[in-house]
Amino acid sequence: MEFFYNVLNGFQITFQPINILYCFIGVFIGTLIGVLPGIGPSGTISILLPATFSLSPVSSIILLAGIYYGAMYGGSTTSILVNVPGEAASIVTCLDGYQMARQGRAGPALGIAAFGSFIAGTFSVIVLMFVSVPLAKFALVFGPPEYTSLIVLGVTILAYLAQKSLVKALMTASFGFLLSFVGLDTITGKARYTFGIPDLMDGVGVLPVVMGLFGVAEVLQNLDIPEGISVFKTRLGNLLPNRKDWKDSWKPITRGSILGFVIGVIPGGSAVLASFVSYATEKRCSKHPERFGHGAIEGVAGPESANNSAFGGGLVPLFGLGIPSSVVTALLFAALMIHGVQPGPFLIAEHPEVFWGLVASMYLGNILLLIINLPLIGLWVKVLKIPQWLLLPLILLFCIIGAYAINNSLFDVGIMMLFGIIGYLMNKFGYEAAPLALAFVLGPIFEKSMRQSLRLSGGDFSIFITRPLSAALLVMAGLVLLSYFFFKKQRGVLEGRGEAV
Amino acid sequence: MRGSHSEVIGGIFWGGVGIFFALGAVRLKLGTFHSPGPGFIPLGIALLLILFSLFTFAKGLISPAGQAGEIPWKRPALVIGGVFLYGLLITVVGFLPSTFILMFILFSLLITIKKRKWLYVVLCAAATALGAWLVFSVFLRVPFP
Repeated sequence: MEFFYNVLNGFQITFQPINILYCFIGVFIGTLIGVLPGIGPSGTISILLPATFSLSPVSSIILLAGIYYGAMYGGSTTSILVNVPGEAASIVTCLDGYQMARQGRAGPALGIAAFGSFIAGTFSVIVLMFVSVPLAKFALVFGPPEYTSLIVLGVTILAYLAQKSLVKALMTASFGFLLSFVGLDTITGKARYTFGIPDLMDGVGVLPVVMGLFGVAEVLQNLDIPEGISVFKTRLGNLLPNRKDWKDSWKPITRGSILGFVIGVIPGGSAVLASFVSYATEKRCSKHPERFGHGAIEGVAGPESANNSAFGGGLVPLFGLGIPSSVVTALLFAALMIHGVQPGPFLIAEHPEVFWGLVASMYLGNILLLIINLPLIGLWVKVLKIPQWLLLPLILLFCIIGAYAINNSLFDVGIMMLFGIIGYLMNKFGYEAAPLALAFVLGPIFEKSMRQSLRLSGGDFSIFITRPLSAALLVMAGLVLLSYFFFKKQRGVLEGRGEAV
Repeated sequence: MRGSHSEVIGGIFWGGVGIFFALGAVRLKLGTFHSPGPGFIPLGIALLLILFSLFTFAKGLISPAGQAGEIPWKRPALVIGGVFLYGLLITVVGFLPSTFILMFILFSLLITIKKRKWLYVVLCAAATALGAWLVFSVFLRVPFP
């Protein structure tokens, strides 16, 4: 009964007019930045986070989450019409989506992407609802050693997934950990790496770092891309997929939804990975794999479902364990902390309104997105025609104002610009920003739980391998590292695609 | 820039970062295994970073010189310079004029030559500055310097 009471309560929160509005704003902005190739969801969420300081925690999370899954919807539009992924999780959609558009089937491609996203999004919310509460109870057996090992596993997986080099990803992750130690030590209160600068006492802010790495760096990246995107000239015509399309797509959508959710739950797993795996799976399951790359609707339906479903999956470790598994969930984690809601196994019990409100808002958001994306597709095509020279300075201005608004201090703007430069250089030299950002957020939890573990064991490191759950997590991390060296060749396929972006 | 050179330089750079943090950690209290101090974990991670950077450095030395693209730095440098100028200017002349100047610089930097009509760019910059001021300062009440 309690379950139904909670669900009902969640919907009550979501259907307050003000929260409907925030949900709408979130998914609208999300679709917008998903369509625009210049900036992705991580940058946008960090820019808008300061604007949500004055909202209630649940409204803030509803809005920020809306941006993310909205971007997942919007990203497909650019992939299909322009052959440029609006954001990373829509890279594979280019392969068959653009081919469909060239064959005059842009409408059904956009349609199936939207319906697939809707089905998968709804599916993942339902599973999230049933899984999170039991997981939070299970999470109580998680002690400090388990948290330490879980973070090791998460960072290892994320580094493993780095498209360029595992060692480079491990270096940026280490750098992220080190940066997170700047400021007062939480246990002894001692200032670390502050050099007497008062602004550094509270540490380097998560938001300026993420804004720099995913906002400013992105702008700098795009400065030298030749101007103008050519939108594929086609009559969109009928957006509704026909019977045959549905017949071809329902299995990919189902598989994509399940796969996406499972991959989202894995620490370090993300929507990007989910879309790649789904594409590969569909190609393997298909009776006519040769059609892939030439406009197979399965190649759009599967990955687009998977990347939406992965978000619901990603919320499981966030709400069940208090461990963010990707950059975006790390930002939601930061948002919760700012609002004084401590993420962790007790969150759902202590702040049911946040969890159930968010869950209910995702039903609403998915419906809103279907409405925003299908009938209004013409609007988004127009958005694609905004020239770069106007767009990039505007994004930069938003970054500056967003960074300033965190603490009303120019210091944060400086930090953001610094990380913009770092992010730009890292990208040019083949380093990825995601491991840095995630390690940066996980750093304090990692340090605290590792120190607590050592205290518990009296300085004996074997505590990490004598506790079965912790040992299992570490063994998994070890297997991931080993498999990197075994499957190096097969990864080449993904790498080739990844570098083109 | 040669591919292997960038690996070697990368290795040296990250190694330097690692040594910097490691030295900082040693000066903090390391504590004991039984009761780790504030420098304990930073030292561990910094040592890991040094290890990884040695690996990258060595890999760069033995790998054949590959061609890596030239890094376009002019426009990014101008944009970054513009933003730092903006930071200085905003404390002196206030939000509206300095935003106008920044937007003007950025627009004229990026717009293609055939479309470059100065009046148009000035109008766009003015509209952006005014719009941003209305939204952020008046509506969202961000207290700009």
